[in-house]
Amino acid sequence: MNFNDLTKHISGSVDYISIDQNKCNRCGQCILVCIVNLWRKIDNIISISEDYKEKCLECAACYQVCEADAIEFQYPSGGTGIVFEKG
Amino acid sequence: MNAYDIIIVGGGPGGSMAAKTAANLGLKTIFFERGRKPGEKNSSGCGLGPRLWKDFPSMMKELTPEKCPSMRAGSAARNYFVNKEGVVAGYIMNHPTESVSYEPAKSWITMNCYRSEFDPWIADFALEAGAELKTSTLITNLLKKDGKISGVVDEHNNKYEAPIVIGADGAVSMVAKQSGLRTKWALDQITVTPQYDFQASPERIDDIMGDEALAVWWSAIFPASYQVFFHDGFHQGLGNWLNKWDKNPLYYLNRVINLKYYQRLIRTLDAKPRELQSHLLPWLRYPYNTHTDGVILIGDAGGFPCPLEAEGIYPAIVTGKAAAETAAEAISADNFSKDFLSKYDILWKKTSVGEEFEAGEELYNIWKALPFSPQETMTWFVPMFMEVMGGIFDWSQPHAKRVRQIASQIKSYMPKALPFIMKYVFPLLAKIFEEDLDKMMDPQKLMSAIPKIMDLLPKKKKRRDET
Repeated sequence: MNFNDLTKHISGSVDYISIDQNKCNRCGQCILVCIVNLWRKIDNIISISEDYKEKCLECAACYQVCEADAIEFQYPSGGTGIVFEKG
Repeated sequence: MNAYDIIIVGGGPGGSMAAKTAANLGLKTIFFERGRKPGEKNSSGCGLGPRLWKDFPSMMKELTPEKCPSMRAGSAARNYFVNKEGVVAGYIMNHPTESVSYEPAKSWITMNCYRSEFDPWIADFALEAGAELKTSTLITNLLKKDGKISGVVDEHNNKYEAPIVIGADGAVSMVAKQSGLRTKWALDQITVTPQYDFQASPERIDDIMGDEALAVWWSAIFPASYQVFFHDGFHQGLGNWLNKWDKNPLYYLNRVINLKYYQRLIRTLDAKPRELQSHLLPWLRYPYNTHTDGVILIGDAGGFPCPLEAEGIYPAIVTGKAAAETAAEAISADNFSKDFLSKYDILWKKTSVGEEFEAGEELYNIWKALPFSPQETMTWFVPMFMEVMGGIFDWSQPHAKRVRQIASQIKSYMPKALPFIMKYVFPLLAKIFEEDLDKMMDPQKLMSAIPKIMDLLPKKKKRRDET
């Protein structure tokens, strides 16, 4: 199933998820729990997909699961981001 | 100046109930929603229980299909049992039983409707009571003056002042964080719950599901998965605590969808996936750090979802009301100290939510150990339960021999089942019946008695003419 067909987003320009490489311990828990697979590990660096704002479900599981406190999360700008019509 | 008596961050059912209560008590009230309208950021697993109607009759009688077209109530729940081979080994469908005491609850168990309809509906009560709602507004911080909470600020640096702020802003609560009540949940306090919404025609749903409102898929190969039926669709979701995943949560949800039985159900219902959702859900043994100077947390933000099945809307509404009532007293007394606001804990503990948490630890423990430990527990629980429920349906042996086979098979699960019963079931029963565990029954005695009872079953069939 293609996730994009099953989600609707209102695009916003403000970034709301970031990762601090100095704090990240490469444990990979964010990769494990992200429902829409937005996190990846390349050359032992964990980063979030550049187009995350078009795909993120805003559940904040990555933020909550990060025991190194490397992931910063704030909800996207008011009126933007994911829209659940049948939630 | 944007000055109010009370500020509520969050426009979900809890925030709206707090705003409605506060406005009705004559307070100048504002509440904020980051979505364009309440409910468009929320996904929800289950439906509304009859206790909402019992506790809030005048409000709930206004919930009609004209206002919430997705509404669907039902009187039955189905429990599917999926074994480790991924086969639906059996199911049980239940209607309310004879011991149900609240009359309306005999004819329906839950009323299900989408949050995109329910949340705006309940927010309207707050607006009618005179509260102000600001949508598309992300509150990013608390204001402080002389070390005391004095309001909130949004992402565009607009300031709103009030001596008390209610955090109704969900699992990842800015209010909890900025007030110092909580930075993050511990991993065993928070679950992640992915969920599909499927579209299906109301006629098919009614024809095929009848009066079933929901189903739980208990399984040895995924954490328990819930299915909730709405007017023209259904949710299928599952969750588990953040420290319990060994694979992506969606991998396990897709295991449900890919069951042969489930695929057949999808074909029969002619159902199509319509939306993919995910949310965090706090699931605690007991709420704590619910308030501090100038701040009260309600609903998910305060960790109030039911300790047994994590239903969150009812506790949010109940705690929203209690928080607003406490805030009104604080305003009258001009005292917003943590000590004064501890009246909030007294209030919610007296409600049915408080009563639920009386056995919170035991409910939480048994639930975590049973449906949310599929490999450890459900691998023996499902086949054992199926022996009891369906073992007799076999025509390859004389029935008496079958009973002995079933008994022997059940006995083989006892090394796993008995410790489970001792560890989780007895403490829960003891708590519920308010008796000490050892007064109720001596675990040692019982441990030794049950296998003996099993031994009483004859090993070999005695022939009638031998007796």
